[in-house]
Order: sequence, then structure tokens, then C-alpha cells
Amino acid sequence: MAVRLSPKVLLIDPVRMLPSLLLPLGGVLVAGGFSPRSFVFAAMGVAGSIVFAVIRWATFTYTIVGDRLELTRAFVSRSVRTIPLERIRGVDVSTPPLHRLLGLAVLKLDTGAGGDKQEGELNGVTVEEAERLRAVLLARRVIPAVASSESSANATDTSTGTTSAAPGHGKEHYYIRVPRSWLRYGPLSGAYLLTPFALVAGAIGLLFQWGDEFGISGKDAWAVGEWLWDRPQYLIVAVAVLVLAMPFVGGVMYAIFNWDFTLKSRDGYLVAERGLINRRAVSLERRRIRGYELAESPPERAAKLVRVWAVVTGLGDSQTRGQLLPVTPKSAALAIAAEAIGPFGPSSATTPPSQASTPGQIGHVHPSDQFGQVHPSEHEAPSGQVPSGQVPSGQVPSGQVDSAGQASSAGMPLRPHPPQARRRRLFRAIFPWLVVVAVAGVLGWGVVVVIALVLALLGIPLGLDRYRSLGHAYDGARLSVRSGSLRRTQAIVERRAIVGWTFKQTWFQRSSRLLTVIAGVGAGKGGYSALDTGERQGVEFAAEVTPEWLNQFIARP
Amino acid sequence: MSDPAGPLPPSPPTARPVSRDALRAPAHQVSRRAITLWFIEGITGFIIMVGGAALLSLWVGSWTWLPDWLTARPWLVPLATALVLLPPVIIEPPLRFAVHRWELSDDVVYARSGWLSREWVFVPVGRIQTVDKAQGWFERLLGLATVEIRTASYAGSSTIKGLDYEVAARLAEDLSHQAQQLRDDAT
Repeated sequence: MAVRLSPKVLLIDPVRMLPSLLLPLGGVLVAGGFSPRSFVFAAMGVAGSIVFAVIRWATFTYTIVGDRLELTRAFVSRSVRTIPLERIRGVDVSTPPLHRLLGLAVLKLDTGAGGDKQEGELNGVTVEEAERLRAVLLARRVIPAVASSESSANATDTSTGTTSAAPGHGKEHYYIRVPRSWLRYGPLSGAYLLTPFALVAGAIGLLFQWGDEFGISGKDAWAVGEWLWDRPQYLIVAVAVLVLAMPFVGGVMYAIFNWDFTLKSRDGYLVAERGLINRRAVSLERRRIRGYELAESPPERAAKLVRVWAVVTGLGDSQTRGQLLPVTPKSAALAIAAEAIGPFGPSSATTPPSQASTPGQIGHVHPSDQFGQVHPSEHEAPSGQVPSGQVPSGQVPSGQVDSAGQASSAGMPLRPHPPQARRRRLFRAIFPWLVVVAVAGVLGWGVVVVIALVLALLGIPLGLDRYRSLGHAYDGARLSVRSGSLRRTQAIVERRAIVGWTFKQTWFQRSSRLLTVIAGVGAGKGGYSALDTGERQGVEFAAEVTPEWLNQFIARP
Repeated sequence: MSDPAGPLPPSPPTARPVSRDALRAPAHQVSRRAITLWFIEGITGFIIMVGGAALLSLWVGSWTWLPDWLTARPWLVPLATALVLLPPVIIEPPLRFAVHRWELSDDVVYARSGWLSREWVFVPVGRIQTVDKAQGWFERLLGLATVEIRTASYAGSSTIKGLDYEVAARLAEDLSHQAQQLRDDAT
């Protein structure tokens, strides 16, 4: 049975169109000198747009026929978009403010096609209908092995608001409802901090675009600019106000977007809900989740906080949709990620990744071979390393656990990269600024020389920290790589998600005997790199993860 | 072609083993005609750049902000461009020929490419999504072809350039045939 959207969207549509109608209507009125006739024309315009909205509403229907969803538009020409239900990989329900007022929701279907146009959208169904549709659309995709990871041994109660309801089919299981008090961590992420500047820039842009309508010409704006330029104290005050507003405004924005963040599981889906004004619920199909990614800024690291994204195959706009946790204390985040997706560490070698692939899918490796195939690695790690008891099966070069090592990497310590990598990180953080210093020195630009010198000096701690961030590890089921300083990211990806390897070596890396190893993954960013590993270390890392692919190509001395 | 055409069972690496390399070289070289191909491509770019510089030099004489010694001799511009760009054009093709190699064994495609920088790619046949065989103008003239192997990720995708046409055709066919049999939808 073909169904229309809720007629209540007709109350929203005109409001949505209002801004675009305002100018033409105003133009008609002004041009007509506000004569009765011009009002008639304006009224006709309004009526026309309402009729348009009604016709559009009346001619759009959706229906579920057998195993597919059909979206039919019969306004001018008849078009039917057919979406096979098995292609629907996720459903994204959001309620913008006006919709919420009327009890409506927007349903977006993620078909993994990529690109907005390929995806289906039902803008304006009642909230109950949205829930019903979600249940119907997603029910088809439930597969038997769904609850396996929930019942894994690592289901830790993190005492942070996690409710440990018994997992089961059709039941909701909350991993976390983020307490409101955690919203205070928001500004540390650096997200939204530039909002005040963005607002001012937006206002200036609007002024230039619409200024003429209000009788402000570009010349006036220019005059204001010149006036300000002559009185720099005002500019400085303005900038200072904006800078002081950064954490505050950033915090408010963060709270608006991440209000009452919850992560739960339902019928083979991970559902992340968040938002104050526009509440949005993103359902990620578990079968397509291949791992997760942790991101930290330096202040977050200092406060032991982290943000978490899911690595999902074929997810468009994964930066917004894939977010699993907002800024969260690290210990809680790791426990939740381990419970919801899978742990990273020695224990996970025994517990298979969620929804373990069918036997023989990955290759012909017997589980017991996974470590046995690895040859003793050349020890390129810095001398004087601290042996760590946490490293599995001894074949792995024992990682130098820096003071934060144990806590700063998820689950299992990462193997550090050779000292040449530190030299390279330092060089890359400092040298460009020294070039600037030299050039500016020749040209006699004193200010630039000073600024570039300061930046070059800052490059020293930055480069050192970038080196400390580098690391990689494999626990028998998932591999992990980490890099970055100002935004340090650690990816934890299932071995079965790997579709190939790329090793890269530039001229400079070759002379330092370094190698960048990129694991090709058909999900998330597409590739996760271990930057500047030792030549042999990198090759053996790949061979450790997929020995059946790599071993035959390794040179034996 | 120094190697027998076509994907064969693993054969011993032919390149001189460099002890420090962690990986052995792939078994097969690309076609020797690929050197000509890279040279033609390089020289084309070279001609375009030098031609552009020559055009630019027509104006140089009238730019007063430039030092006098340069405005007096505008022909220095294309000459300098040529001197800078010529060495790579000449050394790149033989270097590439030494580096570019490929191999298909035990259901994994292993390809090496680059000249100053290098790249090794490993693509298991079971994860291949598409195999394309492509031929550009110059490649057609020289009887060469390129095999493009695509997976779900850019980092698991490989392009093997400069193969003899026959070899490329057979490799592409073998790969797409095997890929169908081994197809693995885990990703």
C-alpha cells in the first residue's frame, strides 16, 4: 500500500521555503510601490508555493513491495526509485526543531552507494511511523550471529552510566548514556572552538551579500574597515573578546550537538543518538563495522579523554555518522568500544571478532598459525628498551613502553618505530620553517624571521611527540596503527577487513631505511598507515597480520 | 621480454638480491619497450614545459622589474628550464625499468613500481573487485598495455604499467577468472 508523508509536513514546507521566497516577494512589493496590485501578486506567489508544496506532497508516495522500498514521485513526470531492502545498510532518523514541534522525523536511508543523490530520504513522517519503518527496514537484515560480541567476556560495567542489560534479540542494550557532566569536556576537543570567528566571518559575508538591500554599500563597509584600521585598539579588543568567547561558544555548540549522547545495540545495529535541537539517531549495521578509530587532541590527552568513531564499510559522511562516542574518559571509552565492537589486546586473539567470518574466508590459516608464522623480527627498536610482559608470544619485539604507553594505547602496547623515524619527524616539523627563516632573512623581513623561528622551535616538541605517537601492533584478530600529534589517531581494524597492502618508500625514507606500510581496508578511510616503520619491521608487521599473503615474498637471508 | 610471457608459477627472483631488502623482488620484469614508453611520456612533458618557457620568454624582455642581465637575454628562461628538466627525462626510464616488476603467485598479485620513490603493492586475488586492461595512444603504438586491479580500497589497488599486450591480456583474464572463483565478500 502506497503511503504519503505525514500531511503535517505541509506546515513545515512553507516555512522552509520562506527565506528563498522573501526576496522575490519583497522585490515584487517594492517594484509595485506597495500598491494593492503588488500585494495581489505577492499573495499569488505565496499561494502558488503552497499549492506547489501540496501537490508535491500529494504526488509523493512510498511503499514496501516484497523485498524492496519504492519511492514514487508523480509530479511532472513519474519516477520510481526502487531500493532493495537488502541494500539498506543503515537508517538515520533525525528530528530538526520544526519537525520535533510537530512530532515528525526525517528518515535517511544509507544504501552504501555513496553520494547523497543515491540515498533515499523520507522527509516528514510521524515519529511512530519512523520507528515502525526503521524496524521493518532493518529487520530484514538481522543475521543470527549478531549478539555474539555483546556476550563476549569483556562486557565490563564501566560504572559510568553503562547499563548492563542482558543482550538478546529484539532487545535494546545500552552501552552508555553519556552523563551531562561530561559535556564540560567538549571544548578540550578543539571542535567548534573557531565558531565565534566563523560567526563573525559569516556575518561579514552576509553583510556584503545583502548589504545593498539594507542600504549599506560596499563603500560604507570599506570606510568602517579603514576606521577600524586607524584605531587598532578596537580591533585588538574585538579579537580578544572573540578568543575569550572561544571555549564558551565552543562548549555551547558542542553541548547542542552532543546532548544526551547514547550508544545502544538493537537487532544487529549499533545506534548512536545525540543532539539537543536536532536529535539524530544513526543506526550502523554491525555486520559492516570493521573496527574503530580513536582521536585525541593534546589537551584531551592530558585529561585522559578520547573520541571514538566506527570504521564502517560503505558509509557516506562517516565523520558525522560514524561517531560512536563524544569526548569521553579514555578508560570508559575503551571499555565501551571493546564491548560494542571488540577488544584490542591479547585477550581478543581467543575471542573472535564480532560476527566472525565464515570459516575459510580469510585464507587457509589455522588460528594457531597466526603467531607461529611470524619470524623473529630484526630489533630496530631503540636500545635500552623496557621489556614488557604484555606482549603476546614473545616473537614480537618487545615494545618500549613510554610512561604513557600502557594507558595511551588501547588495550595493548604498540611497538615503537625505529629512531630514524624520530629524526624524520623532527626534520619535517622544523626544516620548512628554517627555509622560511632563510628566505625571509635574505629579503630582510624581520617579523617573518621571528615568527618562523618561533614555529621552528615549536617544531622540536611537535616532532618528538609525533614520533612518540607512532606505533603499530597486532593482537591476532585486529591490527592497530597510531600517528599524529595535534590530532593523534589510533585505528583498530579487523584483520578480515584488509583487502591488500601497499608499502611506500620515498627517496629519503630509503636512505633512512624506513618504510610506510598502508593496510588497505574497504571501510573508513580506505587505508590505515603505519608511518616510518623500519624496513624489516614494517614488512614483518604485514606478514604477521596476513602471513598467507606475504610470507612467500619475504627475502630470507 | 626477458621473462616468459604470462603469469607462471613462482619462479626464483631474477634481480640481484640486495641483502638489506626485506622483500624479494617480484619475478617478472615489464616489457623492455616500456622504457621507450616512459621516455616518450617524459619527453612530451618536457617539450610542453620548454615550449611554455619559450612563450614566456617573449614577454620577459619587457618586464622591467627583472634584473637587467635577464631582460637582455630572455632565451635564458627556456634554456634553464630545459637544463633542469632534461636529466630526469633521461634517467627516469631506465631506473623505472629496473624497479617495475610484477608477479602472480599463490593467489596474490605482487607489484613493485616507482623510480626515486618506490611502492610495493600486494593484492590477494580473492579481494579483487575489478580488473581492467587499458591501452593509451603510445601504449597501442608500442604494443603495450596496463592492467589495473581494483579492490574496495585505494591502498589495495594496483596498476601494472608497461606490460607486453599479450602478457597483459593473459594476466587480466587469469585474474578476473580467478577472482570470480575466490571472490570473498568479507569487505
